[in-house]
Amino acid sequence: MAKRFITVEDIQRAGRGPLVVDADTVVTPQAQLAAQSAGIVIQTGSGQAYAEPIPDRGPDPARATGGGHRLPEPEGQLNRGTGVIVTVVGRNRPGILAEITVAVGEAGATVVDISQRTVDAFFHLVLTVELAGGSDFSGLKQRLDCLGGKDDYSVRIMHEGVFRFMHRI
Amino acid sequence: MVFTDSEILETVRMLELETLDIRTTTLGINLLDCADPDLESTAEKIYAKIVHQAKNLVEVAESIAADYGVPIVNKRIAVTPISLVAAACGSKDLVPLARALDAAAKEVGVDFIGGFSAYVHKGFTSADDALFDSIPRALAETDHVCSSVSLGTTRAGVNMDATARFAEVVKESARLTADTGGLGCAKLVCFTNPVEDNPFVAGAHIGIGEAETVLSVGISGPGVVRSALERLGPGADLLAVSEVVKRTAFKITRVGELVGREAARRLGTSFGIVDVSLAPTPAIGDSVSDILELVGVERTGAPGTTAALALLTDAVKKGGAMGSSSVGGLSGAFIPVSEDEGMIDAVRVGALSLAKLEAMTTVCSVGLDMVAVPGDTPVSTLMGIIADEMAIGMVNNKTTAVRIIPVPGKGPGETVEWGGLLGTAIVQDPGKFHCDVLYNRRGRIPAPIQSYRN
Repeated sequence: MAKRFITVEDIQRAGRGPLVVDADTVVTPQAQLAAQSAGIVIQTGSGQAYAEPIPDRGPDPARATGGGHRLPEPEGQLNRGTGVIVTVVGRNRPGILAEITVAVGEAGATVVDISQRTVDAFFHLVLTVELAGGSDFSGLKQRLDCLGGKDDYSVRIMHEGVFRFMHRI
Repeated sequence: MVFTDSEILETVRMLELETLDIRTTTLGINLLDCADPDLESTAEKIYAKIVHQAKNLVEVAESIAADYGVPIVNKRIAVTPISLVAAACGSKDLVPLARALDAAAKEVGVDFIGGFSAYVHKGFTSADDALFDSIPRALAETDHVCSSVSLGTTRAGVNMDATARFAEVVKESARLTADTGGLGCAKLVCFTNPVEDNPFVAGAHIGIGEAETVLSVGISGPGVVRSALERLGPGADLLAVSEVVKRTAFKITRVGELVGREAARRLGTSFGIVDVSLAPTPAIGDSVSDILELVGVERTGAPGTTAALALLTDAVKKGGAMGSSSVGGLSGAFIPVSEDEGMIDAVRVGALSLAKLEAMTTVCSVGLDMVAVPGDTPVSTLMGIIADEMAIGMVNNKTTAVRIIPVPGKGPGETVEWGGLLGTAIVQDPGKFHCDVLYNRRGRIPAPIQSYRN
């Protein structure tokens, strides 16, 4: 097994000349500084300069992500794309639904379900939206977050997962 | 996939109005491979490993909070008990390792790092000894490090030598942090039957049975349970109360399960556990005490409080057990006095005494938590309070803990403000009678008969 860490002590012991480390060895920040000030080059076996390796999380996550025992999801997941729930509440005025749906359309998402209620001057609107495979959740979120305002209406946009986990088994 | 309006609005209401959040995502990191004969090198490795493993933790937690609309309040790290990691270096002063933990916590931007810990429920190793000596300074000289020790287990009994020493450590920690109301003690806790996957501070650490890294989640949600009971009203019977708490706990746990799975996936680590605990905060409405009062006691601490808490803790566990296959940690209901606005109030009006609090800990999920006592409380009395709590855990096969703060310069009834999540406490009176003979006996309370189960 490769040496897991290179410390200042290792640098001091290394003397002169380049220090060769394994690809998954972590050189501590202090050791990197010490090497720099002593003029020692740290490099991997293939002659490349040292770069921090990808964290080694041990065999457990590797097994979990490699197939095997994936936990079952609650029912109702979309076959295609990503489900997104958009809720809007605020003071009613003409054009709000249009503003929201235009933003949804521009982000490359389609509306699956829609419901709206008004009570006196206020309204709440619930949209279930589907993001096509390639579309970006954060793009849709950014567009919708820009809408509304303090005395107008507020938009909340959430991944459907939280609703599915809470209300489906 | 389409949800009904009422389902969607229920979830949004929990998040917007009832302060539903994920209290903590805690990354457990094994530090056993950081052991080194040289103290400086050990500290260096600890720092490097934590930063290496946890540098994406805060970013991942924030991205999940943004995507799912669920606030994640704290991001924390739990590590292998430092007494195990430090054993190889033989140093008598382990404060440099606490500094390394603190520096790593600052670098990755987490709120707390737990694991300046030792298991001494049967006896001390040389490294445990050094760790005990280092705790007061470690807590006084760092900002984010939390310390926990195991003083007893049902299998081993209670180590009373360690309990007496722990009481001295508490006293010394309070003295060294006198200018902040003994704040060092708020980062210090002792356990009987500690759990090795606890994501909540101050007791967070990962035990030696855990994986290289593991992501665990602590839920919250007293506000959600409280609102559900408010809607149920005072006319419903206790079976209905239990049912409502169970259903609510199920839903809260599911959010924890989702966040835990997703965080582990995005970090590329294994998902550990969901700690299904109702954890209060000083915020209005986020109180376990309020729930007990809704179940039916005029003030927390009144007769009936222990029964109400027993029902609550049990129903939370049952709901949680259905919501996740990975329920772990402490799981139940927390009653940290200073962190719960309703509990503070109950102490203020004289409803909640230290004795009643001790009774409540027999059925809650932890123990005497964030309790303030006068700064001049003798060490022997502190030991007595701690030993009582340890004995409750030992005999009842449950985890119990003590986080007690002898507030320097304050007497019974006075108020101390720690601010933030730690809240406000009113100093409670431990009584005038002592236990000096017990204190001087030392030794060990042997394992109870119920431990002989093989």
